[in-house]
Amino acid sequence: MSDPALVARHLRRELEGDPPAVLVADADLAVQPGKFTAIVGPSGCGKSSLLYLLGLIDRPTGGQLLFDGRDLAQASGDERARIRLEHFGFVFQFHFLLPEFTAFENVMLPLRRLGRLSLREAEARANQLLGDVGLAEKGWKLPEKLSGGERQRVAIARALANNPRLVLGDEPTGNLDSVNSARVVELFRDLAHQQGRAVVCVTHDMGIADLADIRVSMLDGRVVEVREQAPRT
Amino acid sequence: MLGRLSLLLHIASRHILVRRRQTGVAVGGVAVGVGFFLAVSALMVGSQSDFVKQLIDVAPHIIISDELRSPTPQPALREFAGGAVDIHGYRVRNEVRGLKDWQRILASANAIPGAIGSPSLSGAVTLRLGGRDEPLGIVGVEPGIEAKVSNIADKLRYGSLDNLEKVQGGIIIGEELGQRLGRGMGDIVPATSSNGTTKSLRIVGLVKKGNSQLGSSTGYMLLREAQSLLGRPFIINRIGVKLADPYDAERVAGTLEARYGYKAQSWQERSADFLSLLLTRNVIMYTVVSAILLVASFGIYTAVSNSVADKRRDIAILRSMGFSEGDLQLVFVLEGMALALVGVLVGWMLGWVLMNILGGLEFHIGGDVQHIPLDRSPRQYLIAAGASLASGVFASWLPARKASRVDPVDILRGAV
Ligand SMILES: Nc1ncnc2c1ncn2[C@@H]1O[C@H](COP(=O)(O)OP(=O)(O)OP(=O)(O)O)[C@@H](O)[C@H]1O
Ligand SMILES: [Mg+2]
Repeated sequence: MSDPALVARHLRRELEGDPPAVLVADADLAVQPGKFTAIVGPSGCGKSSLLYLLGLIDRPTGGQLLFDGRDLAQASGDERARIRLEHFGFVFQFHFLLPEFTAFENVMLPLRRLGRLSLREAEARANQLLGDVGLAEKGWKLPEKLSGGERQRVAIARALANNPRLVLGDEPTGNLDSVNSARVVELFRDLAHQQGRAVVCVTHDMGIADLADIRVSMLDGRVVEVREQAPRT
Repeated sequence: MLGRLSLLLHIASRHILVRRRQTGVAVGGVAVGVGFFLAVSALMVGSQSDFVKQLIDVAPHIIISDELRSPTPQPALREFAGGAVDIHGYRVRNEVRGLKDWQRILASANAIPGAIGSPSLSGAVTLRLGGRDEPLGIVGVEPGIEAKVSNIADKLRYGSLDNLEKVQGGIIIGEELGQRLGRGMGDIVPATSSNGTTKSLRIVGLVKKGNSQLGSSTGYMLLREAQSLLGRPFIINRIGVKLADPYDAERVAGTLEARYGYKAQSWQERSADFLSLLLTRNVIMYTVVSAILLVASFGIYTAVSNSVADKRRDIAILRSMGFSEGDLQLVFVLEGMALALVGVLVGWMLGWVLMNILGGLEFHIGGDVQHIPLDRSPRQYLIAAGASLASGVFASWLPARKASRVDPVDILRGAV
């Protein structure tokens, strides 16, 4: 197995209080590239909290988070933002597109912020990403004119804009019907298997969890089991 | 870097464009502030520079006279300097003997680049006409030089300064005095000085009415003739100096006074009371303007604050995408700046219109059609723009900071 994309060691997240509320307790986890990892567990067990820590959106109160051999737990906000921009892509349960920007412009946002491509190249890439999720014709639409499934696919295209090594989803199918849900899951599996990205997905849906390569089970803020599953189709 | 800025500006402008009403209010506030600032300051600065120009031009920039600021120290005090000697109640003999060594003073005034000194002798005579005595102050000048130093030549209704050299015993008096005496151009008036010399003078020029300084009781003569009439040959008691830069007068006057001991009065000193009045006017104006800008910045503050409150979700999304805290802060500062900038542009137009309305007003004063003096220099436009942009940045800074502090986790978790 290749080097993990991201390693969490004793990752901890507490909220101040007396006694402090423990959202994530000493989580140990290695996120593998080319694998689709599902995080499952009962509601309120800390799945989202762990995902935000892994995605550098939230800061742990203890432990280490190793990326490229560096501990990012205590890195500066700007540095963490930079790594999110270059290497991480997020998809949330609610599509979270900027409402004033068209689908195409939403996909352009991370491309323009990173500024690695010329405007032309960026536009070509945005169009291609939208085409990949089957929305080549709808890029000019504002999010409010798109269906829920279409919005989520735009969000996925946007998450992939800068060609991230990690794709993180917090119940990305939670709001979709079964057809759309299956499409998104298929996309995510491709991201891992075809494109070699590390994909981590929080889900309630056991059907999705069964399709994952690695299944991480949580309970009361703890990672209680990390199980590799046989590949399925 | 430029790409980042244009992207953040793009986001900011979308936010602004969506919130039309608030944007309108904020832009309107700035525009009204800028517009009225331009109108008011054009009025204030315009009338002020008009007024100061008159103050400056009415007489030479510096007048060196044969007075001393303080009496020369008494010999006893000089002798026992630092000793326990004090003298009270002595009488100061005015040194009215004219400027000693005036050629040297004149030479050093002329040595200043761009400066011209004009020597003159003033004194008092009495005009005796049909049993009536009319006191008249006369000033003896070198017409060629005086013309360069004062604007007396422009103030003549009839005749010219050169006539003094052409006509023996020529004098230039005020129009009013001429009327009072019943004398006009070319008429003769007999003048008697305090030492008894009497001379017949011929009127070769009349100064326009309504000129307070050269009013009814001053006459201009040739220096030589004034010296002989007043019985003070070769003496002068005043040097008027005109400088290239009038605002340098105070300093130059100080140097000259320090060097020669004679009182050298700058136009600023001469009109200190007016100048302090102007200062008060300026303080009032800038207070009003600051208040206007403050109100304008409230509008911007409200608009940006509401925008931040509205866009918390978008802030969280952008943060999760990899935008930094600084990016988000800049987005909202740019919103404030954009509001201010649009406000400035609209305000410029408003101010321009207001100035044209003011400038178009006509007043009929003393037979002339007069316009309000307005200062339309680009400086005012730049000041207004600078102050508005600064207040826009200032007003949006706090809400923008708040935006950068938004914790994406709270919003992503709680999002519905
Ligand atoms: N700001 C907070 N203050 C107090 N408790 C919090 C706060 N945020 C989260 N929690 C608690 O932390 C725990 C973990 O929350 P988290 O959102 O990670 O759960 P989850 O596993 O994602 O649940 P779900 O499946 O419902 O999304 C929950 O019990 C929640 O109530
Ligand atoms: Mg959750």
